[in-house]
Amino acid sequence: MTLDELKDQIKTIQLQFETETSAEGLRTKYLGKKGLFNLLAKSIGKVDLDSRVKAGQQLNFLKAYLNNKITQKERQVQANLPWLDFTLPGLKPKVGHVHPISQAMAEITGIFERIGFTRVRYPEVDWDWYVFESLNMPPNHPARDEWETFFVDTPVDQKKGKLVLTTHTSNGQVREMERLGSQPPIRMINIARCYRRQQDATHTQMFHQFEGLVVDKGINIQHLKGTLDYFAQEFYGPGTKSRIRPFHFQFTEPSFEVDFSCHICGGTGQVDGNKCKFCKSGWHEVGGAGMVHPNVLKAGGIDPEVYTGFAFGWGVERTYTLKEGLNIDDIRLLYSGDLRFLEQF
Amino acid sequence: MNILIPHSWLLEHLDTDASPKEIQRLLSLSGPSIERIYQKDGEAVYDIEVTTNRVDSMSVRGIAREAAVILKQAGRKTELQPLSNPQFESNNQLPIPKIENNPVFCKRIICIVLSNIQHNPTPALMAKRLTQIDQNIHDAAIDITNYVSHELGHPCHAFDYDKIMKLGGVIKVKEAAAGKKFITLDKEEYQTVGGEIVFENDQGEIIDFPAIKGTANTAVDNSTNNILFWIESLSAEKVRFGSMSHAIRTVAAQLNEKNVDPYLAEPVLRRAVELYQQFCNAKVASEIYDDFPTPPQMQPVAVTKQKVSTYLGIELENQIITNILKSLGCTVDWKNDSTFQVTPPTFRPDLTIPADIIEELARIYGYHHLPSALMATAIPLTKPENSFFNTEARIKQFLADLGWQEVYTYSMVSEQIALESGCPIDQHLKLQNPLTEDRVYLRRSVLPSLNEVLDNNPEHPDLSVFEIANVYHPQSNELPDEVLMLTLLSPQSYRQSRGVLETLLKQFFITDLIVTPTSETEAAIQIIQNAEQIEIGKVVRLDFRIGFAIEMRKLQPLLKNHPRYQPLAKSAPIKEDLTFQFPSQTTIGIVTSAIKSASNLVKTVELKEIYEQNFTFTMTYNHQTQSLSSAEVEPIRKAIVQILTERFQGKLIGSLQ
Repeated sequence: MTLDELKDQIKTIQLQFETETSAEGLRTKYLGKKGLFNLLAKSIGKVDLDSRVKAGQQLNFLKAYLNNKITQKERQVQANLPWLDFTLPGLKPKVGHVHPISQAMAEITGIFERIGFTRVRYPEVDWDWYVFESLNMPPNHPARDEWETFFVDTPVDQKKGKLVLTTHTSNGQVREMERLGSQPPIRMINIARCYRRQQDATHTQMFHQFEGLVVDKGINIQHLKGTLDYFAQEFYGPGTKSRIRPFHFQFTEPSFEVDFSCHICGGTGQVDGNKCKFCKSGWHEVGGAGMVHPNVLKAGGIDPEVYTGFAFGWGVERTYTLKEGLNIDDIRLLYSGDLRFLEQF
Repeated sequence: MNILIPHSWLLEHLDTDASPKEIQRLLSLSGPSIERIYQKDGEAVYDIEVTTNRVDSMSVRGIAREAAVILKQAGRKTELQPLSNPQFESNNQLPIPKIENNPVFCKRIICIVLSNIQHNPTPALMAKRLTQIDQNIHDAAIDITNYVSHELGHPCHAFDYDKIMKLGGVIKVKEAAAGKKFITLDKEEYQTVGGEIVFENDQGEIIDFPAIKGTANTAVDNSTNNILFWIESLSAEKVRFGSMSHAIRTVAAQLNEKNVDPYLAEPVLRRAVELYQQFCNAKVASEIYDDFPTPPQMQPVAVTKQKVSTYLGIELENQIITNILKSLGCTVDWKNDSTFQVTPPTFRPDLTIPADIIEELARIYGYHHLPSALMATAIPLTKPENSFFNTEARIKQFLADLGWQEVYTYSMVSEQIALESGCPIDQHLKLQNPLTEDRVYLRRSVLPSLNEVLDNNPEHPDLSVFEIANVYHPQSNELPDEVLMLTLLSPQSYRQSRGVLETLLKQFFITDLIVTPTSETEAAIQIIQNAEQIEIGKVVRLDFRIGFAIEMRKLQPLLKNHPRYQPLAKSAPIKEDLTFQFPSQTTIGIVTSAIKSASNLVKTVELKEIYEQNFTFTMTYNHQTQSLSSAEVEPIRKAIVQILTERFQGKLIGSLQ
């Protein structure tokens, strides 16, 4: 076959294509495995050797020509589809929501796990021994007044005292020491339901706390500050600071109150020369902390002359509702089961 | 405890150039927290939270003492004013009543008789200050006791001297027998429970409820001419017991139950006498009676510098340690270069162990001056058993993504909701002191709570909810068995709800679920694991709702994070549908298993459609290595029809070709 003969055949195919009226089957007919193009392309072997390069170019030209023309025809077909209104609103699949407290707990867990804390779970209904007495609070101690305690109507255990609903997650402290056979290191995060006899816009009979406990050789106040700073930045965003101020708990010595800087005013208490409405003072009080009292270490079988530790405990609700822009003004809603509230999360 | 202190009153004890704002900031960082500053009557009034261990700070003087140390440390020009020590001529014009103390319960009694009391109105400045601290104004004779207590921190009491004398002139410190009546000065009647400390006369009549509240029979009133001004240092435990037993929580009780410094009694008495002389024209009519048999001695605390460094992570110079502790009123005795002994002042009984001393050093040095650093020590690797927090989070997210709403409901429920669990009420743990009637019993099932949630959301009739929470099963003489339950409740059809559970379990590579009816309204849910059937919970029909209660501790060990890979079949499967008609109440789950049992070439059987009593199944036949021909499928098909006809009275719709 000469080059001219090949060109003639190409012309023939092109003319034939021009007569096509429907886009359907065109791609198979012309460009398919047994299509016209492939049939012709096979004949390149019959072209004189010195013309083969040019023959190849001609064939490539034909292939590109067919491809373009077919695509054009296919697009014309698509243009015949019914009109689509792109401004229509979407039809959303129905989804539920993970409860905001679960979301907060998952976030808190993640933050502490990244710095080596182990999450644990301990009884919600526990002996007075673990909730108070092992925490350096003997029966009838005035410090107990701060915990509005629910008592369970059951016989009192000779050694462990009354059965109570846990007023805080601190019952996990001595339990965690026992779990580890009184062998530090300990880095515990205990998140659980707690109960106190009070109910108003900022208190519910049932709430959640998270408790951190770190015990090892050489643990000091700086490590507590470091942990608080780390949490503040991870949970509230970069730049959030923490501070500790003197306080008193029976189970820590020294004891602290923990504040986080307000993310609205950056801890200054001022927004554009006015008092920050969110915090009023630049800081939010979130909870308590301290160095573990030697008596608590002893109650957990740990020698306070060898080991030191720190602990902290805060309400999940309080910590969560301080998030920027959340604006929950009544935490009772969290446990109301009201979908109008829950579906917002 | 909170205390209100007007700025000008503070300045009577403290000389400082710090502004109220600075005082608030600096004290809150290193001492008592000044929670708010109110503007009252033209000046700042501090609202200060004093922790329970620091009763020494529950006074104007106490706060001034703290402020002097903290402000000075912060570089402010500050001095504590010396405490005045008024002197007066005493005489024996009127005899002190006969006092029979019991030193086991009462460490100190100090008193004095003042005569010629004039009931003048409370002077303006005193009235202003008492108003600023939210106290009522009576007349000077009564208000002086409140004023002095607030100023110096020791509760004190004024008896009507003549009433005491008329009642026999005897004051006995006694542990009360049970069942004795007394009427407090606000005319409330009480009966002793036994064991509280009371003052009685020689007839056994209660003439005071000391350290807590005065009684009407000896109280000062408008006709009082002579006063027995009185301070006692009662055992803190006894004060606590008496106050809690009768729920009389006066400021005096709240202070006295926390070990007020008995040495403070005399300055308070002298200050009160000064004010009575000044504002009531009172005359001193007796000597000071002071029964203080064994004045307590403060125990020294030995501390090593090593321990200070262990807590602080930095080393403090010896001089800094000495200066801080001395400024707080301690004496410091260095035994050698690394050990020192600290003797606290009498008003600091809270300082008993090295950690207490370290707290004082650290807070005055300034917590804000300590660096912040994460732990460089080993990460503990011993994980607790039965912890499946990640699984819980995955379950929650998956169910939410499928359209189910997670809720949190209360662990404590009403009697009615408790009974809906099916357990008798006496097999529930009951609260001794519930706050509200709807939160009395610890629940044994979460389903009734979820049912309540659906009832309370009538505008969302298609709402499906779930919760992961504990139920509490009582065990005698032990902690209750707290069982973490995954509970689901939905108004959707049984098939839809069960499908959600099955899809959830499939996320964890569990496919073999067996549901066995146990009653008209309940069925047990089992999972096959290594040819063993393990019960994980139950499905319950609650009217038109379907609920599932799954025990997490039983489910968790069965869950997998990855599947076991099945080699891909080398041949294409054959799929076909067969429709059968069954009598009513045929258990289709068992029919399905029966179809599967027809041949091991039946790989899957799915219920495709239900129309009245007609059930269409989709069967997949496959051979691992070779393609099945329809001739090979035919006998299987026949076997299926035979089984369903014989065992279930099924009737094939259509015919086999």
